[in-house]
Amino acid sequence: MFIGAIGCEPLQLARVQLENSTSLDVYRKHGGYEALKKALSEMSPDEVTNEVKKSALRGRGGAGFPTGMKWSFVPKDSPKPKYVVCNADESEPGTFKDRYLMERDPHMLIEGMLIAAYALGARLNYIYTRGEYRYLIEIMDRALEEARGAGLLGKNILDSDFSCEIYTHTGAGAYICGEETALLSSLEGLRGHPRMKPPFPAVSGLYASPTVVNNVETLTAVPDIIKMGGEAYQKLGTEKSGGTKLWSVSGHVNRPGVYELPMGYDDMEKFIMEDCDGMLNGGKLKAVIPGGSSVYIMRADQIIGKDVRMDYEGLVAGGSSVGSGGFIVMDESVDIFESTKNLTEFYKHESCGWCTPCREGTDWLVKVFRRVASGGGRPDDAQLMLDLCDNIEGKSFCPLGDAAAWPIQSAIKRFPEDFKKHLVGTNGKPQVEV
Amino acid sequence: MSQQLTQIGPLSQPVNIGDEVASFSSEVEAEINWHLAKYPMKRSAILPLMFIVQRERGYLDAPGVAYLAKRLSLRITDIWEVATFYSMLHTQPVGKYHIQICKTLSCKIMGEPGITDHVCNRLGIKPGETTADGRFTVSLVECLGSCGTAPMFQIGFDYHENLTPEKVDQILDSLP
Amino acid sequence: MSTEVIKVTINGKEFEVPKGARLIDVCRDKQFDIPSFCYYADLALQASCRMCLVRIEKMPKLQTSCTIICTDGMIVTTQSEEIEKAQRSMLEFLLANHPLDCPVCDRGGECELQEMTFDWGGLEERFTEKKNYYPEKYLSPMVANDPQRCILCKRCTRVCDEWMGEDAIEAGGRGANTVIGTYGGWLDCSQCGNCIEVCPTGTLLDGTYRHQARPWELTQTISTCTYCSDGCQMSLGSRGGDLMRIVARDRYVNGLNGEFLCVKGRFGHPFVNHEERIRTPLIRYQKGGKLIPATWDEAIRHVAQKLDAIVDAHGPNALGVIGSPRITNEANYLLYKFATELVGTNNYTATDSQNLKPFFDNLAGPLATHRDIRYAKTIVLIGGEPEELQPLTGKQIRQAVRNGGAKLIVINSTPIRLIEQATQFIHIRPGAEDAAALLLANNSNDELATQKLGIEANEIQNLRQTIADTQGDLVIMFTGELIGAAQAVMAQLPYVFRGEENGRRVLLHPLPLYNNSVGAHDMGLMNGAMNQRQMLEGAGDAIRAIYLAGSFPIEQLRAHEDALCKLDFLVVQELFETDTTAFADVVLPAASFAEIDGTYTNNDGFVQRVRQSIPPVNQSKSDWMITAQLALELGLDFKFELSASAVFHEIAERVPAYAGLRYPVLKDESNPVQAKYEIAEERDLTSELIALRDAVQALPETRDKREVTPEVGHELFKIGTLTDKVPQFHLLAAGNPRPATLRVSPLYQITVDADLREPVAVAAE
Ligand SMILES: Cc1cc2nc3c(=O)[nH]c(=O)nc-3n(C[C@H](O)[C@H](O)[C@H](O)COP(=O)(O)O)c2cc1C
Ligand code: SF4
Ligand code: FES
Repeated sequence: MFIGAIGCEPLQLARVQLENSTSLDVYRKHGGYEALKKALSEMSPDEVTNEVKKSALRGRGGAGFPTGMKWSFVPKDSPKPKYVVCNADESEPGTFKDRYLMERDPHMLIEGMLIAAYALGARLNYIYTRGEYRYLIEIMDRALEEARGAGLLGKNILDSDFSCEIYTHTGAGAYICGEETALLSSLEGLRGHPRMKPPFPAVSGLYASPTVVNNVETLTAVPDIIKMGGEAYQKLGTEKSGGTKLWSVSGHVNRPGVYELPMGYDDMEKFIMEDCDGMLNGGKLKAVIPGGSSVYIMRADQIIGKDVRMDYEGLVAGGSSVGSGGFIVMDESVDIFESTKNLTEFYKHESCGWCTPCREGTDWLVKVFRRVASGGGRPDDAQLMLDLCDNIEGKSFCPLGDAAAWPIQSAIKRFPEDFKKHLVGTNGKPQVEV
Repeated sequence: MSQQLTQIGPLSQPVNIGDEVASFSSEVEAEINWHLAKYPMKRSAILPLMFIVQRERGYLDAPGVAYLAKRLSLRITDIWEVATFYSMLHTQPVGKYHIQICKTLSCKIMGEPGITDHVCNRLGIKPGETTADGRFTVSLVECLGSCGTAPMFQIGFDYHENLTPEKVDQILDSLP
Repeated sequence: MSTEVIKVTINGKEFEVPKGARLIDVCRDKQFDIPSFCYYADLALQASCRMCLVRIEKMPKLQTSCTIICTDGMIVTTQSEEIEKAQRSMLEFLLANHPLDCPVCDRGGECELQEMTFDWGGLEERFTEKKNYYPEKYLSPMVANDPQRCILCKRCTRVCDEWMGEDAIEAGGRGANTVIGTYGGWLDCSQCGNCIEVCPTGTLLDGTYRHQARPWELTQTISTCTYCSDGCQMSLGSRGGDLMRIVARDRYVNGLNGEFLCVKGRFGHPFVNHEERIRTPLIRYQKGGKLIPATWDEAIRHVAQKLDAIVDAHGPNALGVIGSPRITNEANYLLYKFATELVGTNNYTATDSQNLKPFFDNLAGPLATHRDIRYAKTIVLIGGEPEELQPLTGKQIRQAVRNGGAKLIVINSTPIRLIEQATQFIHIRPGAEDAAALLLANNSNDELATQKLGIEANEIQNLRQTIADTQGDLVIMFTGELIGAAQAVMAQLPYVFRGEENGRRVLLHPLPLYNNSVGAHDMGLMNGAMNQRQMLEGAGDAIRAIYLAGSFPIEQLRAHEDALCKLDFLVVQELFETDTTAFADVVLPAASFAEIDGTYTNNDGFVQRVRQSIPPVNQSKSDWMITAQLALELGLDFKFELSASAVFHEIAERVPAYAGLRYPVLKDESNPVQAKYEIAEERDLTSELIALRDAVQALPETRDKREVTPEVGHELFKIGTLTDKVPQFHLLAAGNPRPATLRVSPLYQITVDADLREPVAVAAE
């Protein structure tokens, strides 16, 4: 599996290939904790936040919310404690970038969190890692221990008057706990149900205190931003989406892996056919889900010759979105009806059950998919599915409901023939309204 | 009391979960205390503690649940509501080796069905079942974050990736 | 909510609404119907059913009106095709896995899901797949459960937690597999059944009424509970002379308790039609003989002759007349009238070991209503255990703290469950409550009091500080066990803690044990020369005959059996044959609360109606009619004919606090009327304080404090004459096979710090 940067100097992936890259020494040798030193000695918390604002860094967890702005929502004057929580729940199908960041370069995450904590005045911070990533938790714990030993954690970090602790926390198998408010419920020892917004976590999050939840990749970008300065980082990417982005590539390509690309990388076809070394044993490209399962699926002809730019604006223009950068490539062998059924089963399994449309809707949809798959398809089933999706979309309590609807809506609209196959009409003719 | 008691069977299913409370070695207690110390609120340690109880007792059995409730000063129902929410927590016994095969899209299109068949044929059970000797449980699970190294499964907490039938055999053979 | 008004436009019409108003309430208030399941006033917001969607301009997507606080200039649409489709589809989703078995569902006919489907639902059912299935079961002797009908509005789990503080029922599982239940499948709680009450569907059902009647067959009669002094309003559902069930559903009744009832109020009614109810009057012709059935005329004549003879021979004071804190004001009033006007005896009282007279004689402030308690800022609870003995008060206290942020100070010899909500728990020696009263009166006896209470001086300082800091309502509650002097002192506390300057009201809330303890006092029965103990001691010499409504408390009875044997004549009005009727020469069958009209007065001082739901069982008569008939036989016609309201009319004329009250005035249970007790001016309490001081002086310092929190239900589940007739209560009393109870400690009540936590540190246990 390939891990590396293309079209830019590796930032996030600068150290992943080094001999025991997880050790503090190696990290330090390669400029580790310089940014922290700089922040603590030369910058005020607000200056740190400003640099991050300038960098045009957008949340890498999926929502793509400008990180600097999110930080600035935290009420500095609040008497309550503040918390920084790292979202390492990475469960979006097709996404595995955070895993390798933590596996190969834990200290980069620690440094990023420390800088964030300094900017927000947080003393106690958690890394919420999905339960299946147990071995990553062990790596992180070792790294944290090392950092403690070196005075990078705990009281008076680097002899400044800044004191701060970071702990790992384990999830236990629930995709919804990646949603930031559900994550906080889970971290408080409750069922992983999302919470009402407003109040947003920045105002009332963990233990009803101001909390910033950031994705691993978002936080690991922070040290470089501080080191090179916000503008420089932003320039690596586009105006609205600064810096570089990790793409987790899987499916029918010769070279799956984690690719670091500058934001606005040109273009998706080149990326698949050259950088990812082309389609697996010469297969023909059929579809791509570019941003993790929760985005619109793209037809080959929306990619080939369309030079789709790989950043937030570019992908929206191309008919999908960046999401979490889980880049799933499918060749002609894939039946899009089947792949959509597979994802719908995922959402049904992961629906937390809190709200009516998502709980009952995904359950119903899966039942329809299974009936159709087992030959019980009816002419109007596609219509039914679309209507059910419409009844879920925009009405669920949290975005998981929408996330369940989008793949189906786009699949039926963009791959009607794959559904027709399964929906034999009463007149013997396959039919599906689109 | 002259009147007959209202019939509560056949509908009723009273379960007395008993009064036994699990106890653990001092090492394990120390580990538990370490987790409790991480959080401003005891309750936050519920998931780490559940994994420990599960590791020590195989699954979250009644005494284990009673222990958690007591240790976190919660009510058994609070433990129950959490334990049943997360798919990695077991309120029923599972095999010594829990083989969790990823069935989500990337693994699916990269050959998960073949791997599942191979594992199941070899062990003579269907997904969701446990071998008679209680050694193996096979489950199909959702994306485990190894899409780039599909197909894959996890045994306990260990990742096994880029699987082929031969590789599966080696892995299963090498298990103590 | 502030008084400031803002403008919102709903469906094109502009309205002025108070700032901070909730959109769903506003819409409903303005007659725009908004469907909802999970929204329930005064419970934590849920926003999970998604029924209440509306369109708000400048907002993406439809919004749940239950979560929206109105802002100035907000433009809202509640009716449109888009919204209708959304609502219809939510119902379609809710019905997808629903069994649609209304014909066999106890809730059918009063089911919110059913009604909502008729009002908002679509016509054809598109869901043709296999439905998820869960088996029906009982969760406890009281609660039946059909999980398949559940729509997961979680009202049940929220009332269990927020009202009852028990958190016994919860949601388990995830996604489409979510079910409401408990660990081990057995419900370990106080069995209040409020989860059943608030359930909008047939998921949680009254296990004692299963498949017994359809709602529309029942006649609903609004009445007052006959168990404790909180006086919950309830709806008695009867069919063909049988009392089938009791509910507090707001579609039938809207009393001070909302939809709240406790296990006794809700499930304690089967005694009414019980086969052991006394069928006819009974006469024991000679001592030691058997009770033999008789006609009413015969029995009344017999009693009249006997009493006549005894009064002739020994004078009026030889006849003791004893009312009851359980029967209506009308009944107690006629007994008082009988004793004072007809017989002329000084010896009358009620079977209540606690006499509230000293309290009411010195009452210096208004009684706290249950609403006042809910919105109080500080609550001081001296002795008692409301969560078991006055459950509604317990619930109000809990909500005041949890939903209203009130401060609760518990002064008790036992760590009762309410200390989980308490900001301060003052753990005192058993029986030392009087000393606490002494402390509150002034600080000149602190040393003595703290010593007797077995507490630290600073505990008092904190208590006094909290009271001094209170802005808003200060509610002081106490049990009736206090001696007279202590009660007088308590009654005058409003003067001690007065603080108009920072908007403080001092409200008092006595916690008597019985449904009409207060009424028995108001009717004058407690002014008699003797209390029940003295009367029993006097039995056989000073007292020759006793005319008793109800029975003696068992411990009183046991203590004076021989004295009772020496009585010349004992006449008892009762529902059942009891240990007391065993000594009676005549037993007259009385009608239960479900069979009569009348009034009870609760611990708020609310005078509330008791309404006839079914005809008197067997030959029973309501107590006051029996007394009237007896009086008539003795030559005095009370002239009330058969009208309870006529009796009450006279009460209103004779009892100053009840002046102007009439049945029609008390008609609407949703705004109950408080008796106007005379407010005593500030008194010089020297003598009381001396008496109190001596009493405290005499307190032992040896008795140790109780350390264990009593189990849920240790009082509620006790078997009494009435609950003895309810099979399920015997199951509860027998321990309701359940796992060992573990205490709850709600998450948000722990204060949070974010201080560095030494990773090696060991958590303090
Ligand atoms: C259903 C759902 C699942 C999510 N899963 C993840 C996840 O696994 N990892 C993650 O970082 N963010 C996830 N998110 C996004 C988070 O809610 C949140 O936006 C993000 O953690 C914020 O961090 P960022 O601003 O750095 O992206 C998820 C959101 C939703 C609605
Ligand atoms: S959409 Fe509703 S049911 Fe689905 S995950 Fe979010 S809150 Fe839970
Ligand atoms: S009432 Fe608003 S979502 Fe249920």
